[in-house]
Amino acid sequence: MRGLESRQRRPQWAAFVIAAGLAAMALALLMDAAGQKQDGGYAGVGPGDVPRMVAYGLLVLSGLTVVAGFRGALPEPEVQNKGPVLWILTGLGLQLVLLHWAGFAIAGAMLFGLTARGFGKGPLWLTVGVGFLVALGIHGVFDGLLNLNLPAGPVERLVFGG
Amino acid sequence: MKHVLLGAAMAVALAVPAYAQDYTIMAPAAPGGGWDGTARSIQEVMQAEGIAPSVEVINVPGAGGTVGLAQFAADSAGDPTKLIVGGYVMVGAILTNGSPVSLKDVTPIARLTGDTEAIVVPASSDIMTINDLVEKMKADPGSVSWAGGSAGGADHILVGLLAKSAGVDPTKINYVAYSGGGEALAAILGNQVTAGVSSIGEFSEQVKAGTMRLLAVSSDARLEGVDAPTLKEAGYDVVLQNWRMVAAAPGITDEQKAKIAADIEKLNASAGWNTMLATKGWSNTYLAGDAFTAQLEADIAATDAILRDIGLVK
Amino acid sequence: MESFNLLMQGLSVALDPMILLYALIGVTLGTVVGVLPGIGPALTVALLLPVTYGLDPAGSLIMFAGIYYGGMYGGSTTSILLNTPGESASIVTAIEGNQMARKGRAGPALATAAIGSFVAGLVATLLLAFLAPQVVKLALTLGPREYFALMVLAFVTVSATFGDSALRGLTSLFIGLALACVGIDGLTGAARLTYGVPQLMDGIETTTLAVALFAIGEAFAVAAVVAPPDGMHQIKGRVTMAAEDWRRSWKSWIRGTFIGFPIGAMPAGGADVASFLSYATEKKLAEKPEEFGHGAIEGVAGPEAANNAAAAGTLVPLLTLGLPTTATAAIMLAGFQQFGLQPGPLLFVTNAELVWGLIASLLIANVMLVVLNLPLIGLWIRLLSIPRHWLYAGILLFATLGTIGVNPSPVELGMLILFGVMGYGMRLYGYPVAPVVVGLILGPMAEQQLRRALAIAQGDWSTLVSTPVSAILLTVAALFLIVPLILRYTGRGAVLAQVAGDED
Repeated sequence: MRGLESRQRRPQWAAFVIAAGLAAMALALLMDAAGQKQDGGYAGVGPGDVPRMVAYGLLVLSGLTVVAGFRGALPEPEVQNKGPVLWILTGLGLQLVLLHWAGFAIAGAMLFGLTARGFGKGPLWLTVGVGFLVALGIHGVFDGLLNLNLPAGPVERLVFGG
Repeated sequence: MKHVLLGAAMAVALAVPAYAQDYTIMAPAAPGGGWDGTARSIQEVMQAEGIAPSVEVINVPGAGGTVGLAQFAADSAGDPTKLIVGGYVMVGAILTNGSPVSLKDVTPIARLTGDTEAIVVPASSDIMTINDLVEKMKADPGSVSWAGGSAGGADHILVGLLAKSAGVDPTKINYVAYSGGGEALAAILGNQVTAGVSSIGEFSEQVKAGTMRLLAVSSDARLEGVDAPTLKEAGYDVVLQNWRMVAAAPGITDEQKAKIAADIEKLNASAGWNTMLATKGWSNTYLAGDAFTAQLEADIAATDAILRDIGLVK
Repeated sequence: MESFNLLMQGLSVALDPMILLYALIGVTLGTVVGVLPGIGPALTVALLLPVTYGLDPAGSLIMFAGIYYGGMYGGSTTSILLNTPGESASIVTAIEGNQMARKGRAGPALATAAIGSFVAGLVATLLLAFLAPQVVKLALTLGPREYFALMVLAFVTVSATFGDSALRGLTSLFIGLALACVGIDGLTGAARLTYGVPQLMDGIETTTLAVALFAIGEAFAVAAVVAPPDGMHQIKGRVTMAAEDWRRSWKSWIRGTFIGFPIGAMPAGGADVASFLSYATEKKLAEKPEEFGHGAIEGVAGPEAANNAAAAGTLVPLLTLGLPTTATAAIMLAGFQQFGLQPGPLLFVTNAELVWGLIASLLIANVMLVVLNLPLIGLWIRLLSIPRHWLYAGILLFATLGTIGVNPSPVELGMLILFGVMGYGMRLYGYPVAPVVVGLILGPMAEQQLRRALAIAQGDWSTLVSTPVSAILLTVAALFLIVPLILRYTGRGAVLAQVAGDED
């Protein structure tokens, strides 16, 4: 599937975006390297030198990616459903935001529920509800029994105590 | 089922006695390291000796403890149940990392344990005494490569202090940082470097086995059972102890601080704690109150000065 | 014979009923988590490592060994059943194994994988037990310049297997190298690319990157596919191996073991390289080469044995040199440190009991694994019949659980999301994700060894080739770089290209 290389002549914009990303990464490395102590001590290779070499490598790869883009040498991705990706992304984001004040169970429920919804399972109250029970169970097992420290919110404190 | 749990939770909440207080100790390092070990030892002894009914340890690893320290200072202000473990390495890390949060932002309670540093050479080396080593360094600092722990840590600082007291430019030392004691040990044993620095515990087995020669130790006075001079005896005015301490949250009242200090003193006096130290091979260097505060300030000032001399802090 | 006595002593400790129970729990947990798509042995061990905290050392060690073997085996299950390899070493298993499953022969495929893993694990663990002490003696003579040469060799061997697109493989590797620059420079203590964020001081966590790229990226990619892929395959015919299957499998297991162990033991080897080479060998030696690509059992038996033997082999450099050569090994290193075991040349001297306890634990866990899994193959298959929406929701919850449990900072979770999206983007355009993790792991090691070597030699670059070992290693690396190019031009690189073409 992925090995399929389409040999079209139309330039691929994705390749240019990737190349720009690589170049940006190289630029960040070079700028940081410029701010480092340039004296390499007895080694002669200082903290900025290896990042600089990596940056040059990235710049070369960036250039080659541009060439590949003109030749259409990058595999064309299959058509993607954007909906599910957004659902999962929102789920991950909500977990990040909710984790510290709402606790692991509620945050985990959001991630679980929205991911299941992204995979086409509904309704949302059901998937989030299932997620809540699963996350609460995981919290019970890992935090309660196995001493892993998971963030506790009001729910965890209520169910499992302090 | 849920009601049962709920009922039990409420019963527990009501039954907690108000006298002995619970603690949450932050180990600002990953599980397995020295600070984590210290925190977990405190936890074990406090619970076993009945100093506190329930003690929890949380790990916040990163950047020589400064990530944990910053989080502790921000989240625990005014909470007398929160403690953090720290140490000499943290003093250096705060300075080298340019950490916005320092030990001034917490309430240091007491120094608990400490390690002495040791300087060794491979057994096959032609360097016999610490003076030989220093002479070689004086002649050509680059030719003496030192293996030790992370840059800016206690090992690095010791080499810097030694160079300075011997009149060698501390920026000229050829210090090769390794990520751990084991890795540095291998480099020394394999004759890859001229000399090695680490806490004496790391080397003692090798010295006993005759694969390494112990040249000097960093303690104030000679150590029992250790056949090596202190740096002071050898003529270099350098004393260094890699200590560990416990601190409380910022913004607590004097009574709260006194209560915590009393609990820590109880801990230190307990038989369980001293047994624990013996099994772990840590020496008890308990120091509390104003004496500790003064010692801490002196250490911070000295560390700041030497890190500037080495060129790690600008 | 001292090591034999120590091993027997370790085994007798491990035969305590309570210890066996821990082994059973470890193997079960490891398999259950390892069987989830996108979660390879590295991740399984990372996720379940905390489970072993708080047990006594013996119990903790054996549960750890159980989790490790369980995770190793669990990964091949998903390759066979769902064509979703949990990690790079299971990729070739997916080629023939999934074809077998499509033909209703999932049972024999899973069985040959299990027994092959067992045979290889057994032989390789014994080799580890009796050869590792010899390697220790050699290891002490190695210094930074030799280690640097080893790292160069590792880079070359890994990047030589990137397959049909050197551009994309190298791009992935360099992204990994760039990410590796983040954090405090080990030699000078200077902060690089941290932008004042304290959580970045210690660099980017390997586990965070691996979880994000593999599990989260895979979840995005699967969710976004318009036409759902075929899920489970119904089992037709017998679930166990027929006499014919045995006859065709055993030689492959042995060959796989002896290809896997030395390659794994080479600090520059790795289980994935071993499995590629085993696959190529089996294809060459097969009675019916025409079956390859359509469900040849040798193509499952060989690589599965090879990757297990290589995994045991990677313990040689890990235990004797303190050198983690794979992501799994890197995570195991963290596991060992939990037991106060500092891998390195002196491990066998300073921690003899723990080491032999570990080796005994590995043997016991290996037996436990095959005992547990052969009868339960049917059940593992049913675990995967959980509907996809619940399955992936659960996978994501577990994937984040690892990060939250270790370091619940918003920065860490933010990186998880960022790299997850990156993993998805890389899958879209056919960039392999494994080299990113490889770059992140090997990059700092190569850099530090280079700078240490140069510091000791006071800046004299000729030090890098001044010992026979370093000179030979660098020469071998150069050959590795050139030979595949020649092979590719003469057409023999076809297998590697095909294999790495749909690498994930």
